[in-house]
Amino acid sequence: MSTRSLLPQFFCAVERRLTLGIAHRTSCTKTVIRRVSYLKQKSVIALTRRHLISDIQGFIPCQRYTTSTMAPVIPKGDPIQIVDNLIKNNRIAIFSKTTCPFCTKVKELFSSLNLEVAVIELDTRDDGADIQDALLQKTGQKTVPNVFVGGEHLGGCDSTIAAHQNGRLEFLLNKSQAGPKAEMPDDVKYDYDLVVIGGGSGGLAASKEAALLGAKVAVCDFVVPTPIGTTWGLGGTCVNVGCIPKKLMHQAAILGQSISDAKKFGWDVPDSAKHNWHTMVEGIQAHIGSLNWGYRVALREKKVNYLNAFAEFVDPHTLKTTDKKKKETTITSKYILLATGGRPRYPDIPGAREYGITSDDIFSLPYHPGKTLLVGASYIALECAGFLAGIGVDSTVMVRSILLRGFDQQIAELIGSYMAKHGIRFQRGYVPIKLERIEEGSPGRIKVTSQNEVGELLEEEYNTVLFAIGRDACTNNIGIEKANVMLNPRNGKVICDEKEQTNVPHIYAIGDILDGKLELTPVAIQAGRLLAKRLFGGGTMLTDYVNVPTTVFTPLEYGSVGLSEEDAIAKYGANDVEVYHSFLTPLEVAIPKRDDNEGYAKLICVKSLNEKVVGFHILSPNAGEITQGFAIGLKLGATKADFDNLIGIHPTIAEVFTTLNTTKSSGADVLQKGC
Amino acid sequence: MVQKLKAEGFEQFQIVVSEVENKNPNGNIFILFSGSKDTTGQSWCPDCVEAEPVIEKALESAPEDATFIYVGVGDRSSWKDPNCVFRLDSKIKLTCLPTLIKWGTNKRLLDYQCNNLDTVLMMFED
Repeated sequence: MSTRSLLPQFFCAVERRLTLGIAHRTSCTKTVIRRVSYLKQKSVIALTRRHLISDIQGFIPCQRYTTSTMAPVIPKGDPIQIVDNLIKNNRIAIFSKTTCPFCTKVKELFSSLNLEVAVIELDTRDDGADIQDALLQKTGQKTVPNVFVGGEHLGGCDSTIAAHQNGRLEFLLNKSQAGPKAEMPDDVKYDYDLVVIGGGSGGLAASKEAALLGAKVAVCDFVVPTPIGTTWGLGGTCVNVGCIPKKLMHQAAILGQSISDAKKFGWDVPDSAKHNWHTMVEGIQAHIGSLNWGYRVALREKKVNYLNAFAEFVDPHTLKTTDKKKKETTITSKYILLATGGRPRYPDIPGAREYGITSDDIFSLPYHPGKTLLVGASYIALECAGFLAGIGVDSTVMVRSILLRGFDQQIAELIGSYMAKHGIRFQRGYVPIKLERIEEGSPGRIKVTSQNEVGELLEEEYNTVLFAIGRDACTNNIGIEKANVMLNPRNGKVICDEKEQTNVPHIYAIGDILDGKLELTPVAIQAGRLLAKRLFGGGTMLTDYVNVPTTVFTPLEYGSVGLSEEDAIAKYGANDVEVYHSFLTPLEVAIPKRDDNEGYAKLICVKSLNEKVVGFHILSPNAGEITQGFAIGLKLGATKADFDNLIGIHPTIAEVFTTLNTTKSSGADVLQKGC
Repeated sequence: MVQKLKAEGFEQFQIVVSEVENKNPNGNIFILFSGSKDTTGQSWCPDCVEAEPVIEKALESAPEDATFIYVGVGDRSSWKDPNCVFRLDSKIKLTCLPTLIKWGTNKRLLDYQCNNLDTVLMMFED
């Protein structure tokens, strides 16, 4: 493309910005200069900077245009094209309405940052409604403002402000300014093509895939022991101290329930049936041990070098690894993948680290935990309380405010009340402030002092205190600053684009340390595999982080995919959301006569999208197994009518989704009565 | 030097293992379960035949105090019997031949993993 042909486009862009009516004259001139130097940087215009600026200054009178008299700088036409063009041609693109206070707020934010923005005011154009529809199709967001930075959808006012606070905005701006990525020089020889820091689900998946594609790969994995000395083998959180042992202990609890149900089905089960903690832990740990070994064999078979050593950056391409014997080695790599995962957080109170444990310890605890306090309302706290109570452990959950933050709150409360009915004690509104050891032992005795909002104190003795108040990304001790990788200052997570690429082009991140993404093993595995294919196999597929199904393995399992009711209302507005729901009683519990109408199912639909199902929620036994299959329906855009057309499998729990005909808004009774 | 022992059939295997355990309670014991050899000295199991030289080679890197036991599980028909004692015994639970086990641990290598020098070395060096 010649310089001449580019110029009109360039001036058009300048003019467009000048017509926006939000950039002031001074900041405007600044941004023009920035744009010029940006274009110069890209070497697409061969004119001198001085020459250009004088030309641009000639344009300044254009500022007389205001948004109300805005010339149709973007030609009318296909609304999708209009949307795409604005996004593609501008670092910051905002779809806005002149009357919307949130739009003003967003524009003021960018203005205060001296950033140039391109705006389409939908209420000033005849095709505004069509553009809004195009935006809904593209982003699933109907409301304005609808903000894009560096080609990436940022969302509305709140998400833009959040992105400004958590570093994501800065990240996207830097990225869009950097232009095409410089290819790495080929003449530099590195020890490896790819070094993965962290041998968890994501890191292992990425390393094996990369090796299969011919890359020379190493994985560094090193488990820093917990304060009480628990450690484990290769495989990361999921295998060692997460999903796998959790599901097995959940199963131990379910068996306990089945044993008591069995009597009603005619089995002669002695009342003395007791659970043995050691047998369970031994069985689970033996299984985990064989998995750890299996991973090592798999790495060796695929010629991935496994380094049981702690890796930290020396510079962006160099890592220092330190093994158990404190032996240090330096390795270099063309690409580096951060997959260090997270570890449980301890509260900053006396005695927490000394006397408390976390999910990192419970699954291999060499003694019966005794009377246990679980601190936190996370899914980890509730799952642990659930299986512990299920195998007969006296369990109390201490919750500061709401249960399962971020999950559908109606279901969260149903989970809480089911657990309370099944022997788990809840202390709502309290936080621990002090732990004191009263007696040593396995387990010993610990006095816990806690406090509520109005300062009332509560003292109680426990044998075990398990903290499940959150997890922190393991990014603070790997010398990440020496590689200049950008982190969200609020949570220490790594800011990446949709390709899992950090601000440092050869450094990537996947799994639990990714800012704004899901902390789920299969997500990390998918991201790792696809990333390896893109780096070494010419792949182009990106990980799709939308509509990821998940399940909380509380005593009654909670499976979901898509939006919670709260999020759906926030996104589409209460008037556009219809919820179909029903309580349910699995056939299997009819004979033991327990848990009548404790299960619950709901579909969250968007009226204006032909009742497209945007949220699927099920609280029931085996909810994980139910949710997995239905998730593909949501991914394919199933509507309520599609669910109605589906024929059920009788008698199952899942069939409830084929016959959901009561809306929540009707207020009608949805308790299930008989077959 | 690694001590190399042989056992034929389940009973003999049990005797040999318990003798080694008593004599050297802290030493590593590696056990290779293979299809038994016929009169020509060749196993009926082709994967076992392939694995043997690989394991022999890797044994050179095994720890000095280790013991290696070669166990013949019987002829083809006794192995193919679903009630074969090597398949049922709770400590062994074989599912395929050859199987290399680090006794008393969860570490085992199955069929083709036994003729990959890299993986066998990892087992011995661990």
